[in-house]
Amino acid sequence: MRKIIAMFLTALMALSLCAFGAASAESTEVGTPRSETLIVECQSAASSTAGQFNPYMQGTQNGFGIHQLLWSHLWEMDTVKGEQFGDLAESMPVSNEDFTEHIVTLRQGIKWSDGEDFTADDVVYTVNMILTNTGIAQNAYYNTVFASVEKVDDYTVKFVTKESFPRLSQKFGVTIWGNDLRIMPEHIYSKLDDPSQFQNSEPVVTGPYTVKEYDSLGNWILYERREDWQNSDVGVITGVEPQAKYILFKYLGDDTTRQMAMMSNQVDILCEVTPEALEVMTSANDKIACWYPDYPYATFDDPCSKGIAFEMAKAPFSSKYFRWGVALAMNFDEISMNIFEGAGRASVLPILTATTAIQELYYKPIEQWLKDFELVLDDGTSFNPWDPDYKDRMAEKLSASGYDIPTDPIEREAMFGIGCWKYAPDVAEKLFVMAGLEKKDDGWYYEGQPFTFELTYLAETEAQAGRGTLAAYDQLIKFGFNCTISSVNSATWTTNDQTGNFELGGYWPTGGITKDIYSQINGWANDLIVPLGEIGSGQGSRWDNQQATDIIHELATLSPDDPKAYELGIEFLKVATEDLPFIGFHSGTKYVPTNSTYWENYPSSENAYNGPWWWWSCFKFIVPYITPVQ
Amino acid sequence: MKFWKYFGLRLFTWALTIFIGVTFIFFIPRMFPSDPVETMIGQIQARSGQMDPAEKAALRKTLRVQFGLEGSLSEQYLSYLNRGLLHFDFGPSLMNFPADTRSIIGKYLPYTLGLSLTSTLIAWVIGNVIGLLAGFRKDKRSSKILEGIAIAIYPIPYFLVALVLQIVFAFVLKWFDLQSFILTNNGVWQFVRSLVRASILPGVSMLLLGTGWWIISMKSLAATTAAEEFVLYARYRGLSESKIGKDYVFRNSILTQITALAMSLGTVFSGSIMTEIIFGYPGVGKLLQSAILQSDYNMILGVITISIVAISTATLIADLVYPFIDPRIRYS
Repeated sequence: MRKIIAMFLTALMALSLCAFGAASAESTEVGTPRSETLIVECQSAASSTAGQFNPYMQGTQNGFGIHQLLWSHLWEMDTVKGEQFGDLAESMPVSNEDFTEHIVTLRQGIKWSDGEDFTADDVVYTVNMILTNTGIAQNAYYNTVFASVEKVDDYTVKFVTKESFPRLSQKFGVTIWGNDLRIMPEHIYSKLDDPSQFQNSEPVVTGPYTVKEYDSLGNWILYERREDWQNSDVGVITGVEPQAKYILFKYLGDDTTRQMAMMSNQVDILCEVTPEALEVMTSANDKIACWYPDYPYATFDDPCSKGIAFEMAKAPFSSKYFRWGVALAMNFDEISMNIFEGAGRASVLPILTATTAIQELYYKPIEQWLKDFELVLDDGTSFNPWDPDYKDRMAEKLSASGYDIPTDPIEREAMFGIGCWKYAPDVAEKLFVMAGLEKKDDGWYYEGQPFTFELTYLAETEAQAGRGTLAAYDQLIKFGFNCTISSVNSATWTTNDQTGNFELGGYWPTGGITKDIYSQINGWANDLIVPLGEIGSGQGSRWDNQQATDIIHELATLSPDDPKAYELGIEFLKVATEDLPFIGFHSGTKYVPTNSTYWENYPSSENAYNGPWWWWSCFKFIVPYITPVQ
Repeated sequence: MKFWKYFGLRLFTWALTIFIGVTFIFFIPRMFPSDPVETMIGQIQARSGQMDPAEKAALRKTLRVQFGLEGSLSEQYLSYLNRGLLHFDFGPSLMNFPADTRSIIGKYLPYTLGLSLTSTLIAWVIGNVIGLLAGFRKDKRSSKILEGIAIAIYPIPYFLVALVLQIVFAFVLKWFDLQSFILTNNGVWQFVRSLVRASILPGVSMLLLGTGWWIISMKSLAATTAAEEFVLYARYRGLSESKIGKDYVFRNSILTQITALAMSLGTVFSGSIMTEIIFGYPGVGKLLQSAILQSDYNMILGVITISIVAISTATLIADLVYPFIDPRIRYS
């Protein structure tokens, strides 16, 4: 026994001795001074392709800081205004009348990190490389678009498209997360036999940081600010020196570890967490904050609203009366409380998400139309489903719970949206009957059979979508449906969507923050629909609406700057609302915490110089404004 | 002669087991309602929020060709038997295309093997020694205490033990990193030092629960053996307790434990997934989990083929060495 106790004590001693070398408060695990190192959580898992920084080699984990810090696009996104701006391009492209020739003027003064000038040669080479190299994933698509790309002079490039292509900057510049067209150095890539097989472990870049070191096991990458940061795209455009000499992108593991890392100041910026996790972290460490300093904490400007999608190639989900019935059978107030305790901006119109910009551009202009909109019932009556009082109800409810909720109507609209669908189960019953359902004493029937259907949601991620689907399930059970719910893992989630192997699902077939909505809606054209079980290139929901399709086709021919494009966008939203192919709940609600122990001046509601999108390519334009704590 | 007949038969069973195993693992993932190309497109679309229908169609076509998913199932199967089984060449990893599956597995497998094999073997040795003492000298107070500890620890869910270790030693005491941090670029000494430090918490967590099981099972075996008549006879002959324990009880009890050890080596692959996730320890467990979630057929095939071959071979070796341990067993 004594021997065993002795062995145990020896083991414990060895354990404590081996603990030496842990990161101290003054330095990071990789040996850089903590005060000079901004530590950012990587959104994706540890990379199995460590040391691979070439975005044109498949398998490159671009989200590991690679597209946020190293590479640059022709056009970037101002996420606050919802507008693009020139990054490597000096301005937006100038097209001819039929949108087949596009002149792009490049920004002068930018240099690659090895001192070479960035010029038109780099742009022409990159596009031609994609066009000619079949090993690059975008090769086939680029060949359907581009006839040629030519250098006009050192800072001017002419793109010629095979057909009219009015949206060059939207398609080949950033509108949300990033874009596949990242410009590579011609003086390096042109010497390669096959750029699609080039790892590029010592990348020469136009962004403000270069790679200093990386973990061969794929858990972290350490970036170092360029000595000539003034010559980077960010330096030339903003003139502001990024304060962090080093940026460490790290994979932090499971949710518990992420929280502990944040609470113990081992990371400065996290990606999305749940409100419960945020509460734990903020109660343990007062340096941790979110977009809003108090309730509702989260930002509501993520461009993918979550809600309920239907597989409309299947009856009775193909009936708009059924879909409207579902919308009115659910109490949206209760759904909101169930998802994130009432936090979230209502984004109930189909397909377009109520980000700040889209709410102003599309939701508010049709508010009067929504107030006048009537669903005609087969008993000769009609019903206006719009509920403009949601924001005030939620404000009062949450104020009564002790939250500090603004009283200003404008601020309330920003917080809770302009309205939602009414809770009207009696009208919902009538609509379900119009869809062909029959209510008997023991429940609902369809075509003589007991009616049941299944709701599905993605198991692993996207808490907002999962909770929304669960809340919808509760509402529909309460209404009297005999429905079921199941979770699906990511291996089958997308395939089920594309093949139509679902009935109602927590998919999010929406997204976009730009005024021109063509790129957001073109997948909804009915000529892209394929039979159930097959995979097409349009939406898996298979919404078959000719009016909407005609609008999409007409939009395709118009410049995004044409006033008629905006009018058609408004018209599309009305058509979609009447048919309701998707019931939105809230805009993308993201809790993205920051830690101001070592760094401060992160974007926030009170300092909204950008959105809190650390995983988007626009992060490089946020970094210069994050400053060390004095 | 009997040995060679037995060896040939056992070798045939070994080959048949591997063949059936890898055949199942080739076809089963392909029966899932999932598609690696769609999963990849879905990930791209989820990030960017939108993808032009023409772009989606073109990308789908390109990826199907690049991933080698264009041929018939039988062609893919024959190709796999030739490349995968005979040459351990599983083709490119679909989720890390075009990186080679074999090289990725090769990078992570040593960590899994190092951690799991070491902790399994240490747990086996400690557990059997303590179990023997607890079973052979069951009336002693120390035996009861040790058995009590084992019974108390063993039912605790693994993740709970791991989390407690992580919270106490990494978060509160800050003796270790929250996630395994192995320095691979700064020389051998730094690598070894960081590897040892990164392996301690995961290793201890695996050891604690693993030891509990071996104690309980060995204690039970030793107690049963100790009550056998030949042990009583040995006592009547006046043999010392240590000799009885070592030569009579231990040798007769350990056989079952050797079989169990050979079988438990199979969990070296699957059993380390939770450890790798909680402690961020590099290894093939996480690789397999990601591969399943992303329908990376080649990676699934690679990891599981190696696992099947390893388990089958371990069992084969155990079967072949039995007669050397127990003379009562013959090759027949």
